[in-house]
Amino acid sequence: MEIFTTLIPYLLRGLNITLSVTAIALGFGLVFGTLLAIMRVYGNPALSRVITLYVGVIRSLPHILLLLIIYFLIARIVNLSPFWAGSLSLAIISSAYQSEIVRGAILSVPNGQMIAARSIGMTRRQAIIHVVIPQAIRHMIPPWSNEAAIVIKDSSLVYILGVPEILRQAQYYSGRNPTKPFNAYLAVAVIYFVLTFLTNRGLDALEKRIRIPA
Amino acid sequence: MDYFEYLTIAIPKLLDGLVISFQVTLVSLGIGLLIGVPAAFARVYGPKWLKRFVIAFIEVLRGTPVLVQLFLVYYGLPQFGVTFSAYTSAYIALGLNSGAYQTEYFRGAIQAISSGQMQAARSIGMTRLQAIRLVILPQAIRLVIPAWSNEVVSMIKISSILYLVAVPEMMTVARELYARYFNPFQTYITVGIFYLIIIGIIAFLLGLVEKRMKIPGMELSERNA
Amino acid sequence: MVPNDNIILKIEDLHKSYGKEEVLKGVSLEVTEGEVVILVGPSGTGKSTLLRCINQLTTPDAGRVWVRDVELTDPQADIDLARQHIGMVFQGFNLFNHLTALDNVLLGLVHVLKMEKDAAQEKAMMELDRVGLEDKYMNYPGQLSGGQKQRVAIARSLAMEPVVMLFDEPTSALDPELIGEVLVVMKDLALEGMTMLCVTHEIGFARDVSTRIVFMEHGDIVEQGPPNKILNNPSLERTRQFLGKISDLH
Repeated sequence: MEIFTTLIPYLLRGLNITLSVTAIALGFGLVFGTLLAIMRVYGNPALSRVITLYVGVIRSLPHILLLLIIYFLIARIVNLSPFWAGSLSLAIISSAYQSEIVRGAILSVPNGQMIAARSIGMTRRQAIIHVVIPQAIRHMIPPWSNEAAIVIKDSSLVYILGVPEILRQAQYYSGRNPTKPFNAYLAVAVIYFVLTFLTNRGLDALEKRIRIPA
Repeated sequence: MDYFEYLTIAIPKLLDGLVISFQVTLVSLGIGLLIGVPAAFARVYGPKWLKRFVIAFIEVLRGTPVLVQLFLVYYGLPQFGVTFSAYTSAYIALGLNSGAYQTEYFRGAIQAISSGQMQAARSIGMTRLQAIRLVILPQAIRLVIPAWSNEVVSMIKISSILYLVAVPEMMTVARELYARYFNPFQTYITVGIFYLIIIGIIAFLLGLVEKRMKIPGMELSERNA
Repeated sequence: MVPNDNIILKIEDLHKSYGKEEVLKGVSLEVTEGEVVILVGPSGTGKSTLLRCINQLTTPDAGRVWVRDVELTDPQADIDLARQHIGMVFQGFNLFNHLTALDNVLLGLVHVLKMEKDAAQEKAMMELDRVGLEDKYMNYPGQLSGGQKQRVAIARSLAMEPVVMLFDEPTSALDPELIGEVLVVMKDLALEGMTMLCVTHEIGFARDVSTRIVFMEHGDIVEQGPPNKILNNPSLERTRQFLGKISDLH
């Protein structure tokens, strides 16, 4: 069908953006989320409570609302392109969820590990980096795989900021070809499905490879 | 105008939007439940071909954004001459989506019930259907409550995307408000507070339900034989 | 307790394999009315599998099973109907966790035997009394001790008025001090004339109450005979060795 010769180029233009938004959101989300988790588990109680509150609020609000709040907040302060505003908003949202994942993974490492590390003279910092985190990582992969799929799907939300990712491209296309809207959205759905599918399978394979022999 | 003056105008309108949000949430959850429970049992006890079909259904619905599913129904189906209203499109898309997730939650609950329960039921002469109805399902319902509570909260959050198809729920109302008063940030913060309060109340209520339905000695973490 | 010539259970040349491992290698057995048959043998030698092949919870690969004159291995057989007449007690109790003790016993009466609620309730209470749990009607399984749970399980099966009771290591999952209360119930049942087939390690019970002991190893029946013979003077060295091992424990 010649539809595809016109549709596909449109979508490919958007795919780049989709992948970038996702990568930024997941990447920043991981870094910031891990920091939050570490502060929450190992930090002082007051800090822990503040972070718990912060994470709780973000996880209770619709992503689209958070996206808009952060966008308008950022727009007041800094002048960012919609692409960066959208990506960073998703990053902030994802960091809250990822902090829960990392926290769960850290807590699943038995306390004795930290005690053993300190008893051979490691500082807290060294123990966290060399003993706790390597073990926590293995517990993290399944829930993180889930979060990655969620962020991939959430990237569709930034279209409301005008960011030209694949959903917006599909809209442009169906605007120009008003007889075939279904095809456009179906193609988008297929692309998302392929992305989430590959991500999940890939992370499953990774999990198997780094498994500690039991 | 100051914030409190604004609130006196905004709150009644937001409450109207809230009612719509609730309505959509409840209907979609209901549809999801009607799909999820049978699908979960089919997934666990059904013939191979049916299992594969359910798995495919789940993978597709969970692997694509809800927004895209909504657009497929609302903007896409007219290509084939099938036009649904925004509301109906919402119910279909959100209902199916919820159905996929609920299938997984119920499946988890069913599989957490030890196989011994089914064996004991069959060994006194029950048919498979009787065993499912009288022994497995009542226990599965209790095991699924925490995950289902999650789904309720999740659905309330998801209903916010309906503002993109002009269903007059809270986010749509918010948009109208800030279009008139030029204060998007305050408006959205206000909506945010609404969501926090609503979700807080719902979480509390669901906690009560969980307590009421508890069976002494039947904890979710224990695998009683 | 004297067995008569009525054959309740007949097993003919049962075979069952799991993957490459053959767990039942052509087992044949007959149990007459009133007999109490104890199955002993090392773990994993197919004893539990044999029991499950009787009420078809596990389908044998080959061989035939009759209860009374109904062939359960016949593809046309109504298995659900047949199971009403076969009682099974599991190592893991498998009580319905969402129901009280009374309701556990009631469920089969009301939904399978289609009894009237009142009549069913009376019968259920009677069965629970029979196993010594008259004060536990309204308790949930989670509130009962292991021994109590197993007795409810026995009551649940007995309520269906089976012609034969199958016991699959009924006391193996119990703490030692709770085993006695279950064995008492099983002894009474035997003395009342119930046909029983038990997989167990409780040699004392076997000595007191059984009419025949069957020693199985590696999916085959090695030796069988009256308790006096098997326990005191087994014909085969293997039997002697095995019994020696478990006598030390019990």
